[in-house]
Amino acid sequence: MKTLGRPFWIAVGWLMLLTVLAVFASWLPLEDPHEIGAAEARLGPSSSHLFGTDALGRDVFARTIFGARISLLVGLLAIAFGMLVGGGLGIVAGYFRGVTDQVISFCFFTLLSFPALVLALLITATIDRNQWTVSLTLGILSIASVGRLSRANTIVFAEREFVQAARVLGADSTRIITHELLPNVMIPMGALALLGMGIAIVAEGSLAFLGLSVEGDAVSWGKSIVDGSQARDLENNPNVALFPIGVMFLTVLALNYAGDRVREYFDVRETAF
Amino acid sequence: MRSLVLSRLAQLVLVLLAVTFLAFSAMNVLGDPLFNIVGPLAELDCDAVSRGEIASTSSSLDATRTDCEIVAEAKAEFRLDEPLMKRYVLWLTDSARGDFGTSFASEGVPVSDILKEKFPASIKLMIYAEVIALGLAIPLGVYGAYRANRRPDRILSVVSFGALAIPNFALGVVLLYVFGLKAGIFPSSYDSSSFRTELTSLFLPALTLGSGLAAGYQRLLRTDLVTTLQEDFVHMARAKGMTDRHIMFRHALRPSLFSVITVFGIQTGALIGGALVVEQIYLIPGVGRELVTAVVRDDFPVVLAGVTIIATAFVVINFAVDLLYGWLDPRVRAKS
Repeated sequence: MKTLGRPFWIAVGWLMLLTVLAVFASWLPLEDPHEIGAAEARLGPSSSHLFGTDALGRDVFARTIFGARISLLVGLLAIAFGMLVGGGLGIVAGYFRGVTDQVISFCFFTLLSFPALVLALLITATIDRNQWTVSLTLGILSIASVGRLSRANTIVFAEREFVQAARVLGADSTRIITHELLPNVMIPMGALALLGMGIAIVAEGSLAFLGLSVEGDAVSWGKSIVDGSQARDLENNPNVALFPIGVMFLTVLALNYAGDRVREYFDVRETAF
Repeated sequence: MRSLVLSRLAQLVLVLLAVTFLAFSAMNVLGDPLFNIVGPLAELDCDAVSRGEIASTSSSLDATRTDCEIVAEAKAEFRLDEPLMKRYVLWLTDSARGDFGTSFASEGVPVSDILKEKFPASIKLMIYAEVIALGLAIPLGVYGAYRANRRPDRILSVVSFGALAIPNFALGVVLLYVFGLKAGIFPSSYDSSSFRTELTSLFLPALTLGSGLAAGYQRLLRTDLVTTLQEDFVHMARAKGMTDRHIMFRHALRPSLFSVITVFGIQTGALIGGALVVEQIYLIPGVGRELVTAVVRDDFPVVLAGVTIIATAFVVINFAVDLLYGWLDPRVRAKS
């Protein structure tokens, strides 16, 4: 009997905790993450400021929790968009094959021909950057890899007996895709979604370093880290950069680990014998 | 082999066209190039001015020309009145000859001159990172396979799993803090005055980029080596009484390097992206910093040229890796 194991549930617990904190951030007894000079600047970690304060006197713990809102939202939306578009196109390409497949596969190949961050730079440089457009950009980056996996899985399942049986019974393509293929292709995609969310969260951080994350005074983990990363700030109060880095690292680690476990758990080939 | 090269070459050309077109149209359709050259003047309705409905104005900056003349000149210089497809073809043929036009922000300066002096630092950084990555990954991969599923291998796999989960920028900031600022072992800013200073000042950035790559290579090499070590020719070598070291390096390593080579091409994309970010942290005057400056100033020709050159290099590297792979592995050659 395979189980997901205790570390998996610890990872899920961490993600749940963060999500709850992020969702209810406004109702929690946190300091205002935006107010400049709310507290003394450059304080180290203490009981009143768990993660200390930054150069503008803002509470780093509050900024990390509010930052989780944008970072988790961007990660979630990006991969949801990638799944919807990439997954859909992949299934269509894998089911119909032929010219449809060739055109879609060429589009995937072209998207993958850009180094991911360079493509993100190209898009975000030309648009107004809010949480929706940044998510959309990162979602576009994931289309090709998600699409290729869903295409490969669809090809495997499209040959299976239950799909042929459905076809013999007179099911049309739409029904076969939604009722027979989709549920089977979804499982390996779930693992990819967890990994992809981690990648998107990191990508938001990278964009922040290029000055291309969400504009205005919205806080994200990436932007908090950038705030504390100038050599002088980093030397005198490293807490501003290092605490958000720690939280982000744990989150990405949790997502990667959970994704890996889900993939192994559902990997039928390993349990077949 | 020849037909493989030809078909891949055709694909290469097609993909390069698609990539450049995507970049060009993103810049021109999503952005507003006219606004970025002339600023608020772009809003001016010059047709109405020429019909005499609105009085002609002239900005205080340049009294010799009316505002509409400035707009018209900008449109002519950057061919903004032409249809998108025509502009793309013109831009592409110019770019192929190394002429990427002139910068919007620094008037009259050719984009190629701006980028030319920025590329060396970025390329040095990336080569340095690959050297560090392979220098770490090959010995550790061999060691992991040699002690497969025992304690050293398990520790290595946990370490590389962790290294893969650390974002480049996070590692960069932590290394800068610990070794650059606190311990002061390495300089915290780029110094190109001599080969030695360059080597030491690029060490932390290269290590930042290289450690993630190393972790990827190590896992791959270890897995492949474990498979290779179960092959008959390895048993044969062992039966002949050869030492473990000899078997590992002379027999098993070479056929196990194939997937590392494939991944090398794909990883270049991550390496380029990583270099953009790491240049910001360590203040290295490379293409990444230039691109960011250009983005802030809405200097589209520079951004477009930078993105195009990087994407082209990436596609060509992957093409070369594919060919190399076919050349190295007889099975791929036979299939084509």
